[in-house]
Amino acid sequence: MNTIVYILLAAGLVLFGGSTLAAFYWAAKSGQFRNLEAGSKSIFDGDEPVGTATDAFADKMADRPLRRGADSFRP
Amino acid sequence: MSATLAHPSTVTPEMEKAQRALIDESTRVPVILFYGSAIFWLLIGTLFALLASFKMNAPTFLDQWSWLTFGRVRPAHLNAVAYGWASAAGIGTALWLMARLCRTPLRYSKLLISAAIFWNIGVLLGILGILSGDGRSIEWLEFPNYASFMLFVAFGLIAVWAILMFRFREPGHIYVSQWYLLAAFLWFPWLYSTANILLNFQPIQGGAQGAVNWWYGHNALGLWFTPIGLATAYYLIPKVLGRPIHSYYLSILGFWSLALFYSWNGMHHLIGGPFPAWLISASVVASVMMFIPVITTAINHHMTVRGNFQALKWSPTLRFTVFGAMCYTLASVQGSFMAIPSLNVVTHFTHYTVGHAHLGLYAFFTMIMFGAMYYILPRVVGWEWPSARLIRWHFWLVAIGIGMMVVVLTLGGLLQGLALLDPEITFMASLDYTKPWLFLRSVSGLLLTAGHIVFAVSFTLLLLKTGATRTEPTLFGSDQGRQPEPLNV
Repeated sequence: MNTIVYILLAAGLVLFGGSTLAAFYWAAKSGQFRNLEAGSKSIFDGDEPVGTATDAFADKMADRPLRRGADSFRP
Repeated sequence: MSATLAHPSTVTPEMEKAQRALIDESTRVPVILFYGSAIFWLLIGTLFALLASFKMNAPTFLDQWSWLTFGRVRPAHLNAVAYGWASAAGIGTALWLMARLCRTPLRYSKLLISAAIFWNIGVLLGILGILSGDGRSIEWLEFPNYASFMLFVAFGLIAVWAILMFRFREPGHIYVSQWYLLAAFLWFPWLYSTANILLNFQPIQGGAQGAVNWWYGHNALGLWFTPIGLATAYYLIPKVLGRPIHSYYLSILGFWSLALFYSWNGMHHLIGGPFPAWLISASVVASVMMFIPVITTAINHHMTVRGNFQALKWSPTLRFTVFGAMCYTLASVQGSFMAIPSLNVVTHFTHYTVGHAHLGLYAFFTMIMFGAMYYILPRVVGWEWPSARLIRWHFWLVAIGIGMMVVVLTLGGLLQGLALLDPEITFMASLDYTKPWLFLRSVSGLLLTAGHIVFAVSFTLLLLKTGATRTEPTLFGSDQGRQPEPLNV
């Protein structure tokens, strides 16, 4: 019984460790690490583009515009 | 933009908005199930926390019932908040994020609904088991076998669901948050099952149990709560501000270095214990190496918000999320230092460690989850939060409460640790040093309790859809004629 458990645990270790390595390899091969700046914009779309704030207290809508400044986002 | 990100020219912003609304709506039932039960267990866990804290001030308080003795109430608190609240809140957030990041409506929601049912039965059985004296004296794994098995089934269902969701994602870039979420969903069932098998089902012998215990205890934080918390921050901070993350390169580096270093941690909890020195040294080194993912994350979150800190005034989500993100840096840097043996000798076995645990799981993780709930719930329910005042009360009560708790436990713990090291001071006298600090800790616990009640009321009012009818809730993206000033892009 004990042996079976240990074999299962060892297999689990190899499987999960291996899947992390496989994920890393796949990510590198499939170009996930290329063009990172475009990747950072993948959560925005035409309706909620970069520059649109999406959350505010109901009574603070008027204060919402972001400051335009030299320190804001650089592409 | 790369080819994978380009949208066909026929897609209009209106269509994207409709698609996003569809995705949000598809997550409604599972998200509300997980969030609702999380908030329920938060209140129960807070009650146990208060009881445990009061018992530190008055040890005989309610000790006539074995069910309510310190040795049971304290693990009941830990497990109610770790599994009942934090994990369920994390899962709820992760489900919504997965749907958004896969750019597809949520599929197979029955898998998730079953998982939520198993989850809640597991937590309920576990808490009742602990209270009735069935718990195990293994920190973080006190749940008896019949409860932990239920949790494992729930974890398994969610992991299968995550793989299926990822399989059916829309093509395109895999955002950094999604890496964190997939990692959490796949690592945790493995971590949880391995630790339970080695400690409860087929227990290994002797000191090795301590090693497995703390490998689990530390990685539950590092490979489960941390990835979910960071995934949430990496999505919400840019999304709320409308500003991409400062350095996406650093965020990816942060993820892979976390994957590399974190699982080596844990043995530093056993510094000075009967363990092979190399085992502990490896963990100490890995703890210090954690500076890499922590600092990359800290730089990124700070630089993304920099110049827009006034946004904390108008966005409830950002307020909680940024508070949490800052505390992630604090807790992690503190943790790395606590792993250094010469400092650990002072803080070990004191309330300092308890302060550190609350800085991590509350000030970091719980605050980020509150922020996520403020963002996600109006979108999945289709209704605005009923009262901005309640949100502000919630924030200030819990922010002051947790700030006070961490400060008093840290100071009290340091005094306690120095007293414990001083051969001139008796053990009983070292406990006297902690008394005033433990009283203040109970006061901070009352503030947190009040905050949680305010939040539960707010949540209930939202679900009941009270307040003025707003077909277009104001927290939603579309600007109702108030387009924010564009950034320099």
